[in-house]
Amino acid sequence: MKIDSVLDEIQDINLTYLLLAQRLLKEDYATAMFRLKIDQAMAEVLISLSAKQLSQMARTNQLLFRLHFDDADQVTKLTNNKREQGLGQTHAALLMASCAN
Amino acid sequence: MSEKSLVGEMHQVQLAIELIELGARLQVLESETELSRGRLIRLYKEVRGMSPPKGMLPFSTDWFITWLPNIHSSLFYSFYRQLTGEQGCSRMEGFVKSYRLYLEQIALDGAEPVLGLTRAWTLVRFFESEMFELSECTSCHGHFVNHAHTPSQRFVCGICQPPSRAGKTRKRQSAVSEEGRRSGGRRQAVGA
Repeated sequence: MKIDSVLDEIQDINLTYLLLAQRLLKEDYATAMFRLKIDQAMAEVLISLSAKQLSQMARTNQLLFRLHFDDADQVTKLTNNKREQGLGQTHAALLMASCAN
Repeated sequence: MSEKSLVGEMHQVQLAIELIELGARLQVLESETELSRGRLIRLYKEVRGMSPPKGMLPFSTDWFITWLPNIHSSLFYSFYRQLTGEQGCSRMEGFVKSYRLYLEQIALDGAEPVLGLTRAWTLVRFFESEMFELSECTSCHGHFVNHAHTPSQRFVCGICQPPSRAGKTRKRQSAVSEEGRRSGGRRQAVGA
């Protein structure tokens, strides 16, 4: 029972992610690629998928997208800054933007 | 005389309107569009409902190195660098998009946008003329705006290591307005 609800949640979040990605790409291509951290080729594929294809992709027991931070140390620094001046979110945004590949 | 393309001109007007809405000074519009000064002034008046401010643009590079402005500038510039580099936006397209991303993030934080559009534009120009470069923070590995040719082997950013008086003025301000709120009637006089 418990595992089922986790699987449901994973599929829900996968589908939500794909739908959001498509909506963002339709609104503003370049900004969406930046927000999603994907390249042009991936953007073109994602935007071309039909509703059926999206739900096929979403139906899996793994998450479709992964954490953008690779460095655990960086996350620790972001969340445990003792001298933080209320700039936590700004810092996170800056790190994600400046270390993106 | 080359004949002006109507569509091209329309794009220029659109860009100018967008920039004016985001708070551009006249000098920015003059260098980024081919519209005449007279038309730009008329456009400015129509969009903002007032005459454009006169006077020179801020030209000091030092402002961008001071504590909070440096953090905001670095945030904006990392957006700009991604959009014009990785995402292949043209210079002005990337500029407007990254400035919007900057405003969006600052609004999420409930903070004031310290970096105005004209300052942001000046920042891009300073990078283009190689007066600035990005230094990587040795602690968080973020990239921060710094004077060009500064030794940066031991660079630590203003978030990882804020200067001792950083944020003091803001805290004092909010403490003052808190006091004003408690004393009730005097709030308006202090809150401003």
